Amino acid sequence: MKGFTSLVLGIFGTLAFSWIGLAYIPNLQIGHLDPQMEEDGSDAYPVPKSGMAERGRRVYVANGCFYCHSEQVRADYAGADIDRKWGDRRSAPRDYIFDRPALLGRLRMGPDLSNIGKRAPAEAEAAASPAANASASPAPAGSPAPATANPVTAASTPASSAAQSPAASPASAAANPAASPAQSPMATASPGASPGVTAANSPSGTPALYSTAWHYQHLYAPRSLNIDSNMPAYRFLFDKRHIGGEPAADALKLRGNDAPTEGYEIIPNYDAKCLVAYLMSLDQSHPLKEVKSMAAPPSPPAPGKAPQ
Amino acid sequence: MTSSSSTPESRPRQGMDYGESEEVQQVHAAIQREKREPRVGLEPLSIWLIAVYGLAIFFGGAYLGRFSGTFSGDSLDPALVPAAKKAAAAGPGGGQQAAELSPAERGKKVFLANCATCHQATGLGVPGQYPPLAGSEFTTGGSRRPAMIVLKGLQGPVKVKGQQYGSAVMQPWESLGDQKVADVVTYERSEWGNSASPVTKEQIAALRKELAGHPASFNEPEILGAPNEDLPGGEQGAQQQPSAPPQGSAPPSTPGAQPPKP
Amino acid sequence: MMNSPDPLIGPTEIPLRAPASVTDLTASDADQVERALIDASVRVPVLLFYATAIAWLLLGTFLSFLASFKMHSPDFLSDVAFLTWGRIRPAQMNIMLYGWGSMVGMGTAIWLMARLCRTTLRHPLLLFVGGAFWTLGVFLGVIGIFIGQSTGFPWLEFPSYAAVVLFVAYSLIVSWAVLMFRFHRSDPIYITQWYLLAAFLWFPWIYLAAQVMLFIAPVQGVLQAAVNWWYANNLLFLWFGSLGLGTAYYMIPKVIGRPVYSYHLAAIGFWTYAFFASWTGMQQLVDGPFPAWMVTASIAAMILCVIPFATVGLNHHMTMRGYFPLMRYSPTLRFTVFGAISYTAFAAIGVIISLRTFTHFLHFTEVSVGYSEVGLYAFYSMIMFGSMYYIMPRLVGREWRYSSLIKIHFWASAYGIGLMTLMLLAGGFVQGLNMDNPTLAFTESTQSVLPYLRGRTLAEILLIVAHGVFAYHFVLMILGLGRAADVPTFLNPLEPDTEELVAH
Repeated sequence: MKGFTSLVLGIFGTLAFSWIGLAYIPNLQIGHLDPQMEEDGSDAYPVPKSGMAERGRRVYVANGCFYCHSEQVRADYAGADIDRKWGDRRSAPRDYIFDRPALLGRLRMGPDLSNIGKRAPAEAEAAASPAANASASPAPAGSPAPATANPVTAASTPASSAAQSPAASPASAAANPAASPAQSPMATASPGASPGVTAANSPSGTPALYSTAWHYQHLYAPRSLNIDSNMPAYRFLFDKRHIGGEPAADALKLRGNDAPTEGYEIIPNYDAKCLVAYLMSLDQSHPLKEVKSMAAPPSPPAPGKAPQ
Repeated sequence: MTSSSSTPESRPRQGMDYGESEEVQQVHAAIQREKREPRVGLEPLSIWLIAVYGLAIFFGGAYLGRFSGTFSGDSLDPALVPAAKKAAAAGPGGGQQAAELSPAERGKKVFLANCATCHQATGLGVPGQYPPLAGSEFTTGGSRRPAMIVLKGLQGPVKVKGQQYGSAVMQPWESLGDQKVADVVTYERSEWGNSASPVTKEQIAALRKELAGHPASFNEPEILGAPNEDLPGGEQGAQQQPSAPPQGSAPPSTPGAQPPKP
Repeated sequence: MMNSPDPLIGPTEIPLRAPASVTDLTASDADQVERALIDASVRVPVLLFYATAIAWLLLGTFLSFLASFKMHSPDFLSDVAFLTWGRIRPAQMNIMLYGWGSMVGMGTAIWLMARLCRTTLRHPLLLFVGGAFWTLGVFLGVIGIFIGQSTGFPWLEFPSYAAVVLFVAYSLIVSWAVLMFRFHRSDPIYITQWYLLAAFLWFPWIYLAAQVMLFIAPVQGVLQAAVNWWYANNLLFLWFGSLGLGTAYYMIPKVIGRPVYSYHLAAIGFWTYAFFASWTGMQQLVDGPFPAWMVTASIAAMILCVIPFATVGLNHHMTMRGYFPLMRYSPTLRFTVFGAISYTAFAAIGVIISLRTFTHFLHFTEVSVGYSEVGLYAFYSMIMFGSMYYIMPRLVGREWRYSSLIKIHFWASAYGIGLMTLMLLAGGFVQGLNMDNPTLAFTESTQSVLPYLRGRTLAEILLIVAHGVFAYHFVLMILGLGRAADVPTFLNPLEPDTEELVAH
């Protein structure tokens, strides 16, 4: 029996050692962070998400989205995340202080989502020109060559979306296809979420990349937007309804095999709306003092336009 | 289901008779043939194994020391970040932290976020609607007037650079905070060919107190009634100007450079 | 394979090669009775644990196959909420971890503890209730995942109502283990007992710590991920690893009848394992939003884990030296040594994929999945299979009926896990290279790994065959349909001169 006590003490001690080192001390270091704020309390980042977005996080967790999608951007020396325009800067602990659970993810069978909300087009553009956008939209094709050849890609932004980073708004109003030279290289390296779009689909009818309509369609029929996608379809997040009078405003515009039978429409249910609200709220682009921002240099301001 | 698997007679009894119980089960064959419980030998450690230990400790320790940054909570990068990559990324335009921006650069961000919608990023305004800031007598004169306008807003007809404006109302921007107001006024006064003295947040704070009792917006006569002077207390920012503000309408010109804020 | 007809030559009198150690090698009569009593007393609880574990194994393997299939055919059965991949995957993992892995480990540990403490089972009620609650907890947890109440933490997805039940069950079981220890009569404490005691004491602490820091008094932000991976890694190393190593330390010397090579190696192996293995885990978070020292500490600990892995590997190897041919015959030895060799492979792979040089393009790929599979299946599950092949005849009084089924089990498992590991590591490597190349669209990386995922599905089919065969064989044993024999079921007919050595 003499060895028993020292054995138990040793067993306890070694685990306590690792617990203190990997759970307790980090908690002292980064376990009580506050949002970053200006001196006068404005411009707080991050902020807790809205009710729908929080519920959307529940839906995200319940359906295991984090098993394929990560939500962390690595620094430029550690991976190609920033080159892929998944973020302007690496993620920092402060980005996640209101996340419960913090869905960092550890596999990427799907692209990183930390800034998927930021990469959405501005609302006005998405609403105004869902059809016209498709031609300007994700020409970042699977192979680099056609993408560089496409000058219309990621056309310079109109004044109203001055706040968007250039790579984030491929769905520009087709009115001003003056591509600035700095943006084509970005187009090549863009997220490539849907390389097959312009080829496979006709320009009309495809929602703007990462807009809410795009997300709904992507959840319902991923391969209608990108034939190379490996994502399962989440049709149970949608309802199939008889069209009464007029089609609903948020009914999905589907074609081919995905479209419902005549007289029916597909609308997202509340879980789908919350999930998309959550996705649209994912935005880590706000600069943090402790992290270097790797934003690509802004193109020289053309007269009347100066993207941020 | 005791060891009644095979009939008793085919199994040699061990001849046990401990008197403890009659039902001492037949020890089935699996146990009979079992070897004794495991025990441990006492071979000494080989020197090669100790060499392996030493190597592991060395490399593990070296790795820990080299790639742990500063062991602090905000050191997210391991120490060895390839310098070339960092320099390239920190090159044109990107890579600047907020703390290192100059007042004019900060002011530019404020301007683009708040003012450019009307006054345009070029500072040229929109004819008939929004007055220009480039070359405007208001921005290039003393810093008091533009600071007043930014803080409290302006409404009613106003003449800028010989042109008449008046259809739009400029809102007050008090909510921006002293630093941001100072930065944006500094920016206006140094951009687009303007070169007027910068403004500090202390000056704005003082001005704010001064104007505390004033109702929302100014109009042109009130602005023109204010002295066309720099705000007092600009010793921190101004390169050449002494603390006493100059009289008269001649704008004190500070050639070019904006002093970097620490 | 036949009963020895001559009553004069009983099993204890088989002529042995080293006559001087005849009496040394087989147990004395008193020992044998003691063992028989012990076996009889643990029979029902261990069989219950085993039977439940195998049932979970079958379900888990099937779900594993389904999840693997859906990865490369995502539209298969995707219209129903509870069959979506994102729910099947955690259900499958948790069934394998808590349903199969934990239950079979506890079953074997019960038998080992009883034998090594040399005391019959005391307080059996604790075990019954504990086992029943554990199964209930797993059941509730899996249902919870399917209806969409997963917690979002990998390997901890059971909703809290299931976690509570699991924890209550476990407290009962661990109190049984500690009570057994109080009665133990063997002195000094054998290696296996160190590992088993350690496993039994570590698990509730890591589980409780995880539940408290993630759900009851949650830590902030990214620390949740850190605690999550601290727990998951410790589950693999300190719970499954200890159970597996403890079992291997018993089975190998027991079957071949030779002592473990060196006590010093065993002691060093145990303590350095306890020390360093618990510090790994953060390498899953490399380059993430964490202070760099946390991740580097885990990588350094992984490097330092070379010490215990090499030590234990050497110990087993030297113990087995000269006796490797016996793997031809003994199922227990074959499975156990396969597991022990995989243990070393597990360490080697772990060190390589943790280094920052390689995480650059191996992180976020299937490589980490393959690595976990090596640990959970190639090492742990194979050793557990070996222990079941040894223990079952002692509980049911029959030998395994068909050596051909054992062979099918072994080869299907070995090829299955071998293929799976190869596919996942190679596929992950290709995936990582493509993902790291920003000139390629992201979907290039996922497309490039699909063929490997199809290979993995093939490996899952092999595992379904293996486990199905094993389950059938197990049911035969439970029903009393095993062979009545004095010698164990060997995988191949014995050569004349090995017979006595393998009489285990």
